[in-house]
Amino acid sequence: MPRPRDSAPDLKTLQAAFGRSVRSATVNGTDVQLLAGSGDATLFSAGIDVYSNNAWQFFLTALERTYPVTQRRVGTDFFRQLARDYRVQRPSQHGDLHWIGEAFPAWLAARMAGTGYEWLADLARLEWACETSVAAAQHDPVGPESLAGIDPHLLPHVALAWQPSLQLVASPFPIWSVWQANQHEDAAAPVDLAAGAEHCAVVCIADRVAVYRLEAADHRLLQYLCAGMSLGAAADAAVANAGTLGRVLERLLAWAFGEGLVVQVVKASPA
Amino acid sequence: MIVTGGPSPAPVQGLIPARAGIGLRSQHHEAILVTAAPPAWLEVHTENYFHAGGPAVRALERARARYPLSLHGVGLGLGSADPIDRGHLGLVRDAVRRYEPGLVSEHACWGHVDGEHFNDLLPLPYTEEAVEHLAARVREVQDFLGRQILIENLSAYVSFASSQLSEGEFLAAVVARSGCGLLLDVNNAYVNASNLGLDLDTFFAALPRYAIQEIHLAGHARRRVGTRELLIDDHGSAVCDDVWAWYEDALRRFGPVPTLIEWDNEVPPLATLLAEAARAEQRLERHHAAAA
Repeated sequence: MPRPRDSAPDLKTLQAAFGRSVRSATVNGTDVQLLAGSGDATLFSAGIDVYSNNAWQFFLTALERTYPVTQRRVGTDFFRQLARDYRVQRPSQHGDLHWIGEAFPAWLAARMAGTGYEWLADLARLEWACETSVAAAQHDPVGPESLAGIDPHLLPHVALAWQPSLQLVASPFPIWSVWQANQHEDAAAPVDLAAGAEHCAVVCIADRVAVYRLEAADHRLLQYLCAGMSLGAAADAAVANAGTLGRVLERLLAWAFGEGLVVQVVKASPA
Repeated sequence: MIVTGGPSPAPVQGLIPARAGIGLRSQHHEAILVTAAPPAWLEVHTENYFHAGGPAVRALERARARYPLSLHGVGLGLGSADPIDRGHLGLVRDAVRRYEPGLVSEHACWGHVDGEHFNDLLPLPYTEEAVEHLAARVREVQDFLGRQILIENLSAYVSFASSQLSEGEFLAAVVARSGCGLLLDVNNAYVNASNLGLDLDTFFAALPRYAIQEIHLAGHARRRVGTRELLIDDHGSAVCDDVWAWYEDALRRFGPVPTLIEWDNEVPPLATLLAEAARAEQRLERHHAAAA
């Protein structure tokens, strides 16, 4: 057992030096002296290699698991490069690997700005929505019959509570089409990236994540409803054409109840 | 000053028997419910079940109804000099309340510095400062959870010039000052013997017998790193003969305690894991019989 040097580093100093070495995958001479003293520097460096490789592989694997479609679209090599750059700028902030990808869409948006690949960040946002959706609690849904006993005059004042797994993502790019085209092992069908905006709802029901493409008006209405607005207020705010308001609301509610997205009907008194 | 000796507080009266269990991984969530040769108990990584819902959580709830369960944390980094992540600790407490495990364990390691997490089990120097720091952190966690935890010895690839104690002395001192139990990973100790020259006989002799409440067994890989050959604790293969022999030695010293087969990479069919558990079970039965 080597005896400690007189100037042995305190715990914080030692961990900071060790962290520097793991992060850079190399141990500088000062840190070798600090950490290993007169011990076997070659063995110490080999050990640092192991920790450095572990930290990188854990980070990369967590990101690959969260963003399989993004990875597929950019290719394995470029995704690795993105992961390396992302790690430098946004190192892991949690002891739980699940959160490593949380900041990736926003980071990717900044990285891709002005490159013509801005859509990748929105695709990543959709994948992060899938990641968080699958981990959300699931409540028993209620059906449309839960609205049946309500005085029709009070229906506009009713609000709905939604499955916690429900997430909404909108993009000026066809991200739903890209995501959908990459759900199978075989070669993805080409997607026209100039096809325009797509609006998505992500939800996990019965342990399966589903990603729906919504009409823009339905998506806007659902946003307001998920924010807690009443049916009447949300419809007024979301649907510009009063003539189509009833049809949009009916279509959205039929879909939402049918998919088990509504978990509670909250009756409210008119103001 | 290093203080040793003295019994730990009584462990939470869990249901983990002194028999062989397996680490439950997602590949076996369904098979574990229908296997004809069920293991005696299961252990999972706590962080994999932090979520409010989802398929993994529901699978564990189903398994929990059938098997005694142990929660094994890998993310707290208890020995980190930076403050403990209270959010992470809160999620550990939520998981403990939800799944009511028989045992709760973590590692004698650190994992984050200056705001960066390395998501790995990083080694501590065996110093008086580190003993005091880790023991204080363990006490903090035990107070927060309202129960005793076990601390696992680490596999390591470096040793520090500043170390004043042997690994066994270090762990014994942490036990004495925190009242925690020990989770003895025989494979980790074997890896350290090969990589760092740890004397296993001396290591085992330094551990307080009363504190050891669980044993881990796993496989390792042999890799060339630079000019050195190292054993890598990758949990990706069967337990090797040498580790089985040291496991027998541990049972002679510490008596039969709950024993877990860990296999996290290249996860094999459940039957392979259960066969490994059966090998541990045979050895446990012999020591139960000898003790009777």
